[in-house]
Amino acid sequence: MRVPSLQQTTFAVLFFSISVAVPAFAAEQAVTTDIGTLDQGTAEKAFPAKPPYSPYAGRNFPTRPFFGDTHLHTSFSMDAGAFGARLGPKDAYRFAKGEEVIASSGQHAKLSRPLDFLVVTDHSDGMGFFPQLMAADPVLMATPQGRKWYDQINSGQGATAAIDIITSFGKGQLPKGFPTPGTAAYRSAWRETIKAAEEANEPGHFTAFIGYEWTSNAGGNNLHRNVIWRDNGAKASLIEPFTTQPPLGSPNPRDLWKWMAMCEEKTGAEILALAHNGNLSNGRMFPIIESFNGKRIDREYAENRVRWEPLYEATQIKGDGETHPFLSPNDEFANFERWDKGNLDLTELKKPEMLEFEYVRSGLRNGLKMEAELGVNPYKFGLVGSTDAHTGLAAVEEDNFFGKTSSSEPSAERATHPFVKTDKAVIMGWEQTASGYAAVWATENTREAIFDAMKRRETYATTGPRMVVRFFGGWDFEAGDANNRMPARIGYTKGVPMGGDLSNAPQGKSPSFLVAALKDPIGANLDRIQVIKGWLGKDGQTQERIYDVAVSGGRKIEADGRSRVPVGNTVDIANATWTNTIGAGEMITVWKDPDFDPALRAFYYLRVIEIPTPRWTAYDAKYFGVTMPKEAPMTTTERAYTSPIWYTP
Amino acid sequence: MKFPLLREPLFQFLVLGAALFGLFHVVGNKKADAPEKIVVSSARIENLADGFARTWRRPPGKEELQGLVDDYIRDEVFYREGRAAGLDRDDVIIRRRVRQKMEFFAEDASVPEPSEAQLAAYLEANPERFKTEERLTFRQVFLSATRRGAAIDRDGEQVSNTLALADKAVDTAAFGDPFLLGEEFRSVSLTELAGIFGDVFAKRMAALELNRWRGPIPSSFGHHFVYISERIQGGTPPLDAIRDTVRSEWSNARRLEAEHKLYGSLRERYEIVVEQLPATSVQAEAR
Repeated sequence: MRVPSLQQTTFAVLFFSISVAVPAFAAEQAVTTDIGTLDQGTAEKAFPAKPPYSPYAGRNFPTRPFFGDTHLHTSFSMDAGAFGARLGPKDAYRFAKGEEVIASSGQHAKLSRPLDFLVVTDHSDGMGFFPQLMAADPVLMATPQGRKWYDQINSGQGATAAIDIITSFGKGQLPKGFPTPGTAAYRSAWRETIKAAEEANEPGHFTAFIGYEWTSNAGGNNLHRNVIWRDNGAKASLIEPFTTQPPLGSPNPRDLWKWMAMCEEKTGAEILALAHNGNLSNGRMFPIIESFNGKRIDREYAENRVRWEPLYEATQIKGDGETHPFLSPNDEFANFERWDKGNLDLTELKKPEMLEFEYVRSGLRNGLKMEAELGVNPYKFGLVGSTDAHTGLAAVEEDNFFGKTSSSEPSAERATHPFVKTDKAVIMGWEQTASGYAAVWATENTREAIFDAMKRRETYATTGPRMVVRFFGGWDFEAGDANNRMPARIGYTKGVPMGGDLSNAPQGKSPSFLVAALKDPIGANLDRIQVIKGWLGKDGQTQERIYDVAVSGGRKIEADGRSRVPVGNTVDIANATWTNTIGAGEMITVWKDPDFDPALRAFYYLRVIEIPTPRWTAYDAKYFGVTMPKEAPMTTTERAYTSPIWYTP
Repeated sequence: MKFPLLREPLFQFLVLGAALFGLFHVVGNKKADAPEKIVVSSARIENLADGFARTWRRPPGKEELQGLVDDYIRDEVFYREGRAAGLDRDDVIIRRRVRQKMEFFAEDASVPEPSEAQLAAYLEANPERFKTEERLTFRQVFLSATRRGAAIDRDGEQVSNTLALADKAVDTAAFGDPFLLGEEFRSVSLTELAGIFGDVFAKRMAALELNRWRGPIPSSFGHHFVYISERIQGGTPPLDAIRDTVRSEWSNARRLEAEHKLYGSLRERYEIVVEQLPATSVQAEAR
């Protein structure tokens, strides 16, 4: 353990709940301050060879974000299988860990860097394989036939046994109750999913969560939710996932929440759900009028929604969901990767009045309104991004994009092939968005720590790059804090992190925020950091406003809080390259709300924007030597969205 | 997720036409016969109730069970009629599903419990797969490219000179810039280092000596001077320490091998004839 400085000791006192540790730190600190200079001998003492047993001693706040995907399908999802996905959950976890795999299209695939965590979320509907196949009577029985197969398998003749089993099965000659060998009782894809997560999970290195997608799609309107377990397989295997098809399942989120409550109560597990693609819900994702009963949402809805759904997946391959130009006409970054033609299957076209109930920003705004009405904010959610890829490959870097389905893995034609086509509209392959990942500020890379961070919404969404983003809100941040050598420590000491709450405004004070971002180490520089504020006015109407709080290249922030000079563009589309000669590698600042009214409910979140870079379509055009359609964008501005910090009077 | 083809009017028309044709054929033929029987056996009902209980952690109520049985009958009626009409034939979804089930069989049959000797042999044959990474504990003095711009090289030289004397005086708080992820890093693996600072940085760090200020090491953020106080060497741990990992890798290897073998032995049952493609339908290979 390095001898702590005065600052660190203060910190240790602040954060150490173990009382015995404090005097020890204080004693050591006295040693350093007494010796003004360090010679060789004392330097050795100052840097002892052995660190403390726990690498987290002395810093129980998260020190780095973990990047992952909360939403990935494999061949276990029926639609993924139909599109030719061959990779199962095991392969998906291997790929996320940085291993090279052979994609379903036969191409070699590898991530630039491993992810820190992954949730394989196959659709619960149609997930089963063998429950139907083997029918009833799961009692394990030893039979002569069974024993023979068992012996064959254990002597390395699995293939022979498999053929024999298949043949017997076909002739109806399986012994009664004989389960598939090698496992207890019969198997289901759910058990297999759990098993794959259990095997891939390596606390401290890589977290493999157990989860599934509840794919409610009533009338083609996307109300999908992913469900994630904090716990291990022992608890998750006590239950089977909730489906959407009556009579066993239901497409109504209220029924999912009932099932979740039952699951926690009866199995002792802890689970959460997160929805996605409001942009394809045709006005139903963040409702004020519930689509299932036509009534205004009530307190029960609000309580359950906020209890079970602490996060929302704000960006993914089927479009970005932060806001829409129609909703945010003064936001020049709003028109980004929008999928706004209709619902999920394009059976119903979009109408402008639907948009308000589909996007993150308007959802957060309406949450404030509903909180004033019901006493509970149903839409108090944090933000993550994820892929929703149906390939088993969480690969959404622009230069390493493996598409939405196995049929849209890299090929010369994928951009010009229709993605969805009906008599009403068409979405082309090039409209797929190479996005996104979830960043979680957890204390360590374990299921428990990451899950707990998700519950407290200490998360942000990125459209693919792994930028580091910090956001703290409080009442006492000062300009000098932006130069503090331990930004995180000052942040946690003086304020609350992203996803947190502010209230009890001190007389005459406005909230201040410590805001910081660091570019992806192998990615593009940053253009700017913006604070997006939403609030509920005295007239009961919600408002929003954008503040540029840090801009690169010495550009000026005007009196209205905006910097309207674009950062520039270095993209060479033909060669799919760019340079970091514009923008900034890092940004940190303290921002105080100049328009604060302590009587009004508000939320604040950050949007971090990168300089323009080549979009995946540019990499495709270059690699395959093809010409993209004129309407396909060839550059993109990647971004990150943090969970909000809410102010409640 | 929907299938674009299913939305094609012509396709829909053809499918419907074929279905109706098939249905009339089947229904017409059946008229004379006694109605086909659908028996919902008690085992089936138990199975339905069991499925319910696995989702809801309680047995279904009377009405719920009736609902499940009704739904099953509905399923069965449509399934039988659809099959009779040949709707299952050449259905890409059904084909792939069936193929998956076959592969599942192979996997199931291929992964018995490995013996201790098998695991040890696998570990010995694939030591690279199980190597733990080297981990470093270090602190840094960071010079930000954003903050210092063109002055970074000159400043770097100054820092370098000062740190060369650091055996005498090291109060690093006095120089350098704040780094968002801090100045102290404990027990960080080279992969994690690459994730935070980039590949080049991680490679340089791997080669540095202990207990000396060294630098500048460039990253895309600026210049870093580092003092590595501990290096935990990587290596291949004993089997006892990584049994689960070895087991899962071993199983995975077996799984792939078994699938390959199963396919091979099933394929042997067929004589496969592939007709020559007409030359016009083969595109010249692009690359």
